[in-house]
Amino acid sequence: MGQRKRARLKGTLASGTSDGAAAGLHGSVKHNVCMVSDFFYPNMGGVESHIYQLSQCLIKKGHKVVIVTHAYGNRKGIRYLTNGLKVYYLPLQVMYNQSTATTCFHSLPLLRCVFVRERITVVHAHSSFSAMAHDSLFHAKTMGLTTVFTDHSLFGFADVSSVLTNKLLTVSLCDTNHIICVSFTSKENTVLRAALDPMIVSVIPNAVDPSDFTPDPSRRDDTKITVVVVSRLVYRKGIDLLGGIIPNLCLKYPDLHFLIGGEGPKRLVLEEVREKYQLHDRVRLLGALEHKDVRNVLVQGHIFLNTSLTEAFCMAIVEGASCGLQVVSTRVGGIPEVLPDDLITLCDPTVSSLCEGLEMVIARQRAGTAPHPAAVHAHVRTLYTWMNVAERTEKVYDRIATERVLPLDQRLRRLRARCGPVAGSIFAFVAVLDFLFLLLLQWLVPDSLVDVAMDASGPKGLWAQNSSRDKNIRPKYQKSVGSS
Amino acid sequence: MADDEFTDIHGKPLSLEYRFHSSFCREFIVSAPKVSLLKVMVYTCTVWLFAYAVFFVTENTAVLSAAILVTLVGMMLHIHFIKIDHETLLIIGSLGIQVSASYASGRESTTFIEMSRIKDIVINEAIYMQRVIYYLCILVKEPANPDSVSNVVPLFQSSKPRLNCLIKVYRSCQEILGQS
Amino acid sequence: MGADGAPWRKVLYERQSFPDNYVDSRFLEELRRNVGVRRYRYWAVVREAGLVAQQLSCVAVVLTLWSYMDQGQLTPATLLLGSVLCALLGYGLYRALGRGHSGERTRCADLQSATIFMAFTFGFSPVLKTLTESVSTDTVYAMAALMLLAHLVSFPYAQPSPPGSLSLNAALFASVCLASRLPGALYVFAMMTCAILVFALWPCLLHRLRDVAPCTFPWAAALVSLGGVAGLASLSPGGALLLTLTLLALTLLCPLLLLWLQRHKDNIHGPWDEAEIHEDLSRILRGKD
Repeated sequence: MGQRKRARLKGTLASGTSDGAAAGLHGSVKHNVCMVSDFFYPNMGGVESHIYQLSQCLIKKGHKVVIVTHAYGNRKGIRYLTNGLKVYYLPLQVMYNQSTATTCFHSLPLLRCVFVRERITVVHAHSSFSAMAHDSLFHAKTMGLTTVFTDHSLFGFADVSSVLTNKLLTVSLCDTNHIICVSFTSKENTVLRAALDPMIVSVIPNAVDPSDFTPDPSRRDDTKITVVVVSRLVYRKGIDLLGGIIPNLCLKYPDLHFLIGGEGPKRLVLEEVREKYQLHDRVRLLGALEHKDVRNVLVQGHIFLNTSLTEAFCMAIVEGASCGLQVVSTRVGGIPEVLPDDLITLCDPTVSSLCEGLEMVIARQRAGTAPHPAAVHAHVRTLYTWMNVAERTEKVYDRIATERVLPLDQRLRRLRARCGPVAGSIFAFVAVLDFLFLLLLQWLVPDSLVDVAMDASGPKGLWAQNSSRDKNIRPKYQKSVGSS
Repeated sequence: MADDEFTDIHGKPLSLEYRFHSSFCREFIVSAPKVSLLKVMVYTCTVWLFAYAVFFVTENTAVLSAAILVTLVGMMLHIHFIKIDHETLLIIGSLGIQVSASYASGRESTTFIEMSRIKDIVINEAIYMQRVIYYLCILVKEPANPDSVSNVVPLFQSSKPRLNCLIKVYRSCQEILGQS
Repeated sequence: MGADGAPWRKVLYERQSFPDNYVDSRFLEELRRNVGVRRYRYWAVVREAGLVAQQLSCVAVVLTLWSYMDQGQLTPATLLLGSVLCALLGYGLYRALGRGHSGERTRCADLQSATIFMAFTFGFSPVLKTLTESVSTDTVYAMAALMLLAHLVSFPYAQPSPPGSLSLNAALFASVCLASRLPGALYVFAMMTCAILVFALWPCLLHRLRDVAPCTFPWAAALVSLGGVAGLASLSPGGALLLTLTLLALTLLCPLLLLWLQRHKDNIHGPWDEAEIHEDLSRILRGKD
């Protein structure tokens, strides 16, 4: 009994001091950030690269960042990436689409251990599809840590599944300190879905590393016009529209070629079109692309085509424009916000409108009035940088560091008030159980028995002092992975 | 020399004893506390009470004799195979590393790794029983390809000392590895 | 207005002098509610609900006929004669209504299918008779009730012709179950013919009736409902009362409920919605040949 009291006292003391330190040094304060998402390297995609790039820039700005994700096959345990970015691959069961199963409780022991040993002050969860992100938000609030959530996707309101997921999002976000969306459309969507106060939702766009996507006009063949498409070949990316565009334009323009990178179930549609119209030499399907190969494909084209039916931000069009291509895209989701009008041709999501847009750009290309790739690249590289994203995210961290995390009683009241009498009561009950589980864990393994981890990044980061490192102080690690 | 402020990851006290035999030969002994009499008593009493309860229902004296047998055999197995009294790491520069664990009964199991096969000694992190802990381990080279690691031998597996203790051993070991 | 006086724009590529969590007055201005929602009129819904009511009555009619046969008050010959008469009448009506349709089957083909079907049912009726002999009668009745319920639930009310395979199979299975408890093989044959008539052919006729002469459809539905109630009334007045109440609730109260719930519909649309492909893209794959 006495031991439990002591443990609780120590717990409150520890959190009190860290809060005080964070509030006192507002502005120059360095945060210990824990990024949580089910989606991370070796999985590849928009969320994954967002987390990686943002973490790298935050480390450069002197913050300490660790990433928590679930184990990918044999890749489990603790790994290090470039610049001491520490990644915890926790052994949690994967359910569906690389998202872990959630019971609201089973991830608490490991997540608590990570939060305590890394002395985390901000928990930053990514992607509403990730069960682990929602779990970590829930546990972080129970442990009294400040929380941030980044939403990367858009959702409708029409069908049953979205009604359910939106309810869960409401529960998850009603007491989260701050939410980040990647576009204004995404912000409107998230505010409506989770019934939030729009003031606690910030818009911070994604970015593209412009040095990875440089133009190279010598790689393209100017005797013909090449349209490049790089996307997963799934329904949501509008591949059916693409299947309608290809024969229409190929019949009209004998010098038009298509270069399509990506893999997915809709590949069949494209193959069928190619077969039907005998376009094997003009429509090339490259299959799945590695991230490093994307640029090599992009620079071979004149026009970048995006046919997505829904998109929160669409990094692909920025990458295309950064490689100096003319961008033609559907006017859906957040896409109209992404590029200025002189860099993009927006069309309605129909075959005829997209064909019109493409024909206009083809005509411009033939007439030679299209802007030079180098000029386009120079324009795009000023628009989005990861450093800018990191600075704006840092502001969010600074802001919430001064905020108070809701204590349990107020949290319960807010859950009941915001999430409806049924779901609110259920999750208030779950929150109480989570708190009791945390007390049990604090009694079984007091915070004082958890070894504080050696910082690889952050103000006391040992990797940052690589140049003047003392071999005897710095523990060496078995598996240091070079880069992602 | 001895330092007794260390604990294992569960908070039980450990003692780390290190002997410097010469500049290139060091020995580290991590000892766990002895089997406490109280614990033995509690276990014995539990088994016997249970046995007596069964005896009360079945009225068969064989239960009692079986209980006595179980306690005795259990104790012997425990001290012979499970309870490790102390773990020793003997590092001799230019020769190799000897890792031994001695059980409470006095039985010892020893492994020796030649210096030529050792790549390094490191502190690593692992997920263990819903926790993330630090542990010390020896990296063993692959004979064909000296740059890659073929095997990892964890040290102090049963006592599981905390990081401060591991760092002490680690630094000492690195001094010797650095000489050779 | 931002710090430099420029108004806020909904773009990401410009560094604007507003904080990241700025909320403009234009926030959510593209929100649309209840786009393309159909406003229902009460009597139109009642008319459509008639289809559900008459399907329920069809089940009641079949059960009544079976019950009369089971009690021996109806001979299979009478039922067969009635069925054949109804079938011929219905077929004539179906043909007359479908004059404008192209791609219609020839009369010869129809006759052929009918003959094959009758022959097979007749041949297999002794088998059907003994099919469920080893199963207890209670189980058979329970199964039949369950299957008829499944028929009603899975019936494709929106597109009743041809009848959905699940609903038709469930109804025929129920009929087999019931028929196997009748006294003789001829009874089974009569019962099955009648079931086919009601469950498979009647929906087709009704659908055509609704297509060609919409004004007659409510009368047909009302007639079937009345027939169902009257038949049941001759067996058990209590059951008939229950059926009447159910039919009234289905046709009059349920539409009222639908209209009332419609007022609470709040469907949100906006630029975040997934775009829908309206064009028929399969023609591109089919085209050119």
